[in-house]
Amino acid sequence: MARKILEVNEMSAGFLVNKEIVKATDRISFNVEEGKTLCIVGESGSGKSVTSLAIMRLIDYAGGAILEGDITFNGASLPAKDQDEMRRIRGNQIAMIFQDPMSALNPVFTVGDQIAESLRLHQNKSDKDAMKEAVELLRQVGIPSPEVRAKQYPHELSGGMCQRVVIAIALACRPQLLIADEPTTALDVTVQAQILDLLQSLQKETGMAIILITHDMGVAAEVADRIVVMYAGGIMEEGSVEEIFAKPSHPYTVGLLKSIPGFEANDGNELYTIKGTIPRINQLPTGCRFHPRCEHAMDICRNQEPGFFQLGQDHKAACWLFEEHAAESKVSPARAAIEHGEVRV
Amino acid sequence: MGEYLIRRTLQSVVVLFLISVFTFGLIHAAPGGPTQIFLSPGLSVEAGQIKAEQLGLNDPLPQQYFRWLGNILTGDLGATFKNNIPVGDILWPTVKNSVILMSVTWILTLLIAIPWGVYNSTKEYGLSDQTASFISYVGFAMPTFWFGIILQSTISIKLDWLPLSDMYTIGKQGDIPDLLMHMVLPVSVLTLISLAGYQKYMRSSMLEVLQQDYIRTARAKGVKENKVVFRHAWRNALIPLITLIGLDLPMLVGGAALTEKVFNWPGMGSLFVDMAMAREYSVLMAITLLSAVFVVIGNLIADILYAAVDPRVQLGKGGK
Amino acid sequence: MSAQLQPASNTEAPADIVPQSEKPLGPWRLTWNKFKRNPFAMSGLVVLFLFIVAAVAAPWLSPYDPARQDLLSANLRPFTGDHVLGTDELGRDIFSRIVYSGRISLTIGFAVAAVAVIIGSIIGAISGYFGGWADIIFMRIVDVMNSVPTLFLNILIGAIFGTNFLLMIMILSLTSWMGVARLVRGNFLQLREMQYVEAAKSIGVSSWGIIFRHLLRNASFPIIVNATLMVGGAILAESGLSYLGLGIQPPDTSWGMMLSNAQEFMLIDPMQAVYPGVCIFLVVLSVNFIGDGIRDAMDPRQKAQLSPRRLDQWRAKFSKSTK
Repeated sequence: MARKILEVNEMSAGFLVNKEIVKATDRISFNVEEGKTLCIVGESGSGKSVTSLAIMRLIDYAGGAILEGDITFNGASLPAKDQDEMRRIRGNQIAMIFQDPMSALNPVFTVGDQIAESLRLHQNKSDKDAMKEAVELLRQVGIPSPEVRAKQYPHELSGGMCQRVVIAIALACRPQLLIADEPTTALDVTVQAQILDLLQSLQKETGMAIILITHDMGVAAEVADRIVVMYAGGIMEEGSVEEIFAKPSHPYTVGLLKSIPGFEANDGNELYTIKGTIPRINQLPTGCRFHPRCEHAMDICRNQEPGFFQLGQDHKAACWLFEEHAAESKVSPARAAIEHGEVRV
Repeated sequence: MGEYLIRRTLQSVVVLFLISVFTFGLIHAAPGGPTQIFLSPGLSVEAGQIKAEQLGLNDPLPQQYFRWLGNILTGDLGATFKNNIPVGDILWPTVKNSVILMSVTWILTLLIAIPWGVYNSTKEYGLSDQTASFISYVGFAMPTFWFGIILQSTISIKLDWLPLSDMYTIGKQGDIPDLLMHMVLPVSVLTLISLAGYQKYMRSSMLEVLQQDYIRTARAKGVKENKVVFRHAWRNALIPLITLIGLDLPMLVGGAALTEKVFNWPGMGSLFVDMAMAREYSVLMAITLLSAVFVVIGNLIADILYAAVDPRVQLGKGGK
Repeated sequence: MSAQLQPASNTEAPADIVPQSEKPLGPWRLTWNKFKRNPFAMSGLVVLFLFIVAAVAAPWLSPYDPARQDLLSANLRPFTGDHVLGTDELGRDIFSRIVYSGRISLTIGFAVAAVAVIIGSIIGAISGYFGGWADIIFMRIVDVMNSVPTLFLNILIGAIFGTNFLLMIMILSLTSWMGVARLVRGNFLQLREMQYVEAAKSIGVSSWGIIFRHLLRNASFPIIVNATLMVGGAILAESGLSYLGLGIQPPDTSWGMMLSNAQEFMLIDPMQAVYPGVCIFLVVLSVNFIGDGIRDAMDPRQKAQLSPRRLDQWRAKFSKSTK
């Protein structure tokens, strides 16, 4: 087993909304291993992005805070650091790329300048050296004629190009961990695949770990080693990509899978949707946070929050359906749905 | 760039042409016709007729207009009605004086307002921010000339620290230290009044920019917070301010008239007021046109600056 | 803050989870409820109300005829006899003059705002709704008007047509409608593409019907804010012109005129310059507070009312991370 580079432990992060503390993530725990890709999957509003901001400690600038728990990076606690120490880690050991590449780049600086800035900051490179390396980085992320591009402004580049630039900025200092928050959502479908391929090949080259945040199970299937499924601030299911796709267990995970066009059952003419919408995080239901939308909700789900049930060596889910240990032969309704061919995995 | 400049200049010429028609039309639309206002009441009817004939006031309006326009374009602004002094001789010195007053005010205002607004955006609702907000409410609600009068009665009369009015002490014409002493009060009034607005605008512009995604990118890169503010946010926040400065120019030229009057500063604004009292219409028309030229040129400069700061604006393609 | 950072306010709650409130409040009622909670706006309202009462009750409030000269009792100090604020160089009672000036200044302020809003709305509506040549012509006029300093324009028109009380309202209105015109035009350009305008057209509502019944009503909130701020602007403009001697003429009196008088006699009685100035200042400040209050109250976005200081306190209490 590879070394754990990042450990998130019972971490809650939140905001103060109308004089009330609102937890955007609720005691979540997960690990990221060196050189591996972890996907955090969930609808918008599930707390995925807040998780990434909390790790980066950028949540401080967004009016929020880490409320409890710990985040350990290379054995050191991130919440215990001050912003000055964090600044030396950000962009250097942990880097981040964002959803909308067009707005993530500063419109008044050339892209070369924006890449070089990282190098000047963390590696004390001279302007000239930094610029030379910026061009090299542009080449590395697959931008043709990088010498020309480096001197251009973001508005002169397409969305896919911009995302490559954002990736180049993130990679400039060879981070050990890259957090990618919906990196392909704002892009055309054809470009999406290119960007994902690029991330994977760069990962192979540099050996960095990746946290990829997405709402798209298809993306997760393509790149993830492990998957964490989040819903309304809590983790619903966690496991290796093989386990999650072979034995999706939490009804929410099953719902997510069923709503992917490619996974649709035999009839194939109607797309599955999960009923209702994600609750506001300050209006969470009692008991299991998913129960109002769950087809299999039982009495206990309404009253008591489920803990995690171990479903395999590396697979767990927070759902009362698995109370009588999942390893036993008893088949859960969610599994039954899959086995009856409603969902083809 | 060149093509854009030409097109913008042509547009400006059109606006200036319309302004000249407008000014000319306004004066000739007065009840009783032009002869009535151009002539002083002391003149007998016959003498008035002769004078009007001399001035060409009985010609058809378009003819009069084009004669006037032609004269102006060749640099002949006409002469005052009463003493037949060339308008240019009166006007140009006052223009110089106004430019001295306004440029100092302008530079001072921006030098204070921009950094202050930037600072306040990073310390929202702090002491400095509250002070600025207080000043801006006061600045918007206080009549400029009243503020001037109050300063005069306290600082000049009661305390006798600074000269009461005028540009130079009599007999000290051209003496720079003396000029500076005379400038302190009018410049303070004008600066304080316009400072608040710009500070407020800069602050809100900064607050908006600081919420943009690229600021988060900069922080994610590990950029120091003061560099986030002064390198990444500042230039973006400046862009809308430039447009505002361009739009505010007429207020600057006109707003100074009151202050000039309070402090008896021999500028274009006080000349306009005096000439309005004396019903010297050729001077009024010349000043109106000239201030419009200032405004139009100012807007043109603002446009060019805008393009210089914001790479997204390409002058050649005319995008605005 | 980007939408992502606040999932709390970002996602719509399903209708069946949100408790149905009683009867939904109308937009005016909601605005008023928010406005009431704004201390600045409310104190502005109170001060303005007091000034309006004083202006209406001027004949009963003021002990003297504001124009009555009495050279025997010129330049009296405050509280001499029943001259609460003393008298000026012609022996006119300053308090009476202040009260009567308030009548003129306030009337001008509100009248100018009203007339300018009407002119601006009509021109903006025609420009925005019909577009084409009407738009081009009106917008060039706006350009021209904006290129000449307003004060010069006022003086020029005033010098030609004269400056009695009614003309003053006309002049100031004619030089301050441009902002409203631009605003209404911009609003119409957006709104005329909306579905409900299409719908109204398709059932045969006339253009003017659409403009008045549908579009202007939708643009009414920003117009109101603009109008409120214009009241203050008009009062300031009037005082400036009257100060220069190019505005209100005797025997009428206005605060600006009193100031021009006071400046001449600054050496004798500096306080004379204070009273009318304070009145202008208070009225304009009140009107601006009210305008800002209305704008904030009508802003559908709930402002983050958390000061950084409060945020820091909160962090210190709950946050795991050091600052």
